[in-house]
Amino acid sequence: MAKEFELNEVEVWDGNYAASQALRQAQIDVVAAYPITPSTPIVEGYGAYVANGYVDGEFVMVESEHAAMSGCVGAAAAGGRVATATSSQGFALMTEVLYQASGMRLPIVLTVVNRALASPLNVRGDHSDMYLGRDSGWIQIDAFNAQEAYDLPLCAFRIGEHLDVRLPVMVHQDGFTTSHKAQNVYPLKDDVAYKFVGDYVPVDEMLDFTRPVTHGAQTEEDWHYEHKAKQHKAIMDSKTVIDEVFEDFKKLTGREYKRVETYMMEDAEVALVLLGSSVETAVLAAKQLREEEGIKVGVVAPRCFRPFPYDLVREALDVPTLKAVCCLDKSSPGGAMGALFNEVSAAAYTTSSRPMITNYIYGLGGRDFAMDEAKRIMKEQKAHADAGHITTNIQQFSGLRGPKLGFYETRRS
Amino acid sequence: MSMTGSVPGTDNRGIRELGAEEKVGWDQVQQGVVLPSFEGDAADIAHQKAEERHYADFNSYTATVASWRVLKPVYNRDICIDCQNCWVWCPDTSIISRDKQMLGIDYDHCKGCGVCVEVCPTNPKSLLMFNEAEENEEALSEWPQKEKKAK
Amino acid sequence: MVEIRWHSRAGQGAVTGAKGLGTVVATTGKQVQAYALYGSAKRGAAMNAYNRIDDEPITNQETKMYPDYVFVIDPALAFSDDITKNDKPDTQYIITTHLSKEDLIAQIPALQDKADRVHVVDCMQISLDTIGRAMPNTPILGAFMKISKMYDLDFFLENMKKVLSKFPQKIIDANMEAITRAYNEVK
Repeated sequence: MAKEFELNEVEVWDGNYAASQALRQAQIDVVAAYPITPSTPIVEGYGAYVANGYVDGEFVMVESEHAAMSGCVGAAAAGGRVATATSSQGFALMTEVLYQASGMRLPIVLTVVNRALASPLNVRGDHSDMYLGRDSGWIQIDAFNAQEAYDLPLCAFRIGEHLDVRLPVMVHQDGFTTSHKAQNVYPLKDDVAYKFVGDYVPVDEMLDFTRPVTHGAQTEEDWHYEHKAKQHKAIMDSKTVIDEVFEDFKKLTGREYKRVETYMMEDAEVALVLLGSSVETAVLAAKQLREEEGIKVGVVAPRCFRPFPYDLVREALDVPTLKAVCCLDKSSPGGAMGALFNEVSAAAYTTSSRPMITNYIYGLGGRDFAMDEAKRIMKEQKAHADAGHITTNIQQFSGLRGPKLGFYETRRS
Repeated sequence: MSMTGSVPGTDNRGIRELGAEEKVGWDQVQQGVVLPSFEGDAADIAHQKAEERHYADFNSYTATVASWRVLKPVYNRDICIDCQNCWVWCPDTSIISRDKQMLGIDYDHCKGCGVCVEVCPTNPKSLLMFNEAEENEEALSEWPQKEKKAK
Repeated sequence: MVEIRWHSRAGQGAVTGAKGLGTVVATTGKQVQAYALYGSAKRGAAMNAYNRIDDEPITNQETKMYPDYVFVIDPALAFSDDITKNDKPDTQYIITTHLSKEDLIAQIPALQDKADRVHVVDCMQISLDTIGRAMPNTPILGAFMKISKMYDLDFFLENMKKVLSKFPQKIIDANMEAITRAYNEVK
């Protein structure tokens, strides 16, 4: 039996430590890991909890991230509650196995501390690894601060392990900005947290010797398509379970999460849509801009990146007063508009307000997202709104040194 | 903080603090993050002494990390036997040696780790750590005497 | 909102100091942030740590700040770092140095017109005397308590003891002495 970990009502934790405590409280059976900056302290923390008797589990040190996720797949198929952590290059090396985990319907939890992908090599936070996972069939939930980096893994086990879902879940947090910034965190007591997560109910586990099974079977054109469709339906429908789990979490803690977080959108004339820790800065900037200049700014933040909350993004943007929206992507799109721009635009296209939508690439490789810059972008949206057309390129770069960089112009006259 | 020129072969060193290089825009950065090592033709570079080479701006040779040091090694020529141990062990190639003869320390790249002092076999040691602020002449004047072997 | 920027070298414990301060402050019902900006730094490289303290939850995740207090915990950094960067008309400076306040200011042009806001304390010597090695991170907090009047010294000491509780008693005692000395010696 694991020892209880003494916790204060308020702790000052960074996002990494917060996530590691959540993994401990969920009493994970197996963590197979290959530590990488900036997510290292999560698995390091779990290793220490195992060594000191605070969790009844196994820490499996492997030779690569590919092996780490493979170990997780094996342990999950065997019937254990399984989690690990990674970032950046490690995430990229895991990618092949991420698709195996989701296709095999194994509810592994992966805490991803978002970090830029090389080259150039860079240890700081952006969303290129998070975006790399977006077609992998995993549920992706995004924490904006250390408290959320603690809360959301607890929710992730409930969501992924739900018998109607049975899918792996990533919980993202921003490298350094969240993972290494200590803030007030209000943890649950061990027994309360574990009760919320619940006992793990294995499905088709390999260690059930009364019912031997094969995992990881091959299918060709006669079976593959149906399996993928069933998997896609599961992740699309998981929104109901996600909403339920968030509701239960709110009842327990008073802390409310939604698949799409909206701030001051009721009367917004312009809005920013973005992800991660920058959401908090943007909300503060929007509040100040409302006071300072009376510009009605709102912020929309998809908490759930996958399944993409098409329904709630549409709802958030279906505001009669809304004229201009800017989607900010913290990942280099490599020859396209940013992914958030594309997906939000598709949802906004079906609204009656049909706001103008532009795209900013920002924060690559950990470039600081400044309050002043957030306000400048908001004011630029107001200029679009006042002019009645987009006054800049549709895609621009924020906080970049050198001549202004932009692509495409509006064809509306 | 550069101590350039104190030892032969250090003339081009420590032109700027590491990280203090001019930050140019996206239109001026080198394609592919390629860092050229030298200016001009470097075909004969292996036969040139450090002070004869034209190091490029992004070569770490021209950047100094002297400010990272809290303690510095001081070298005592009078005791040194030119065994080259420190030259072999220094993790930052900050021991300057020519023709198997120790010349001194490259204070622009030495980070004050103290490995050279650890591996020095002489008695007393030919390299010792002193406070960064202390003058080398003063350090040399207070060098310890030979230690007698315990019986 | 109180904002603090630390100027330190990797290995001098600025991150630990910032987190320690945050932990003490959080026990009084306030909201805190403690974070740092360092590259793939080796021990000895210059770095910054930061604190934000407020009564309301802190949502500003921007790294840059306009500090109310600047802590310089390495003596050389007062000369080589841009310690007055983004400062305000009332920014207070607490600088570790063996120099007198007058001698220090005379050597740093950026501080010339800020003499009434510069405070000096030799945290290096204090930590060498008490803790036995150059660990200026806890003494600087003692000096900060004196200058900011944020908490009584006794209250702060009691709470720092809890923060340091994983260390042996000898180290805790040495840190308490270091904090007290810096509180009394800051000028």
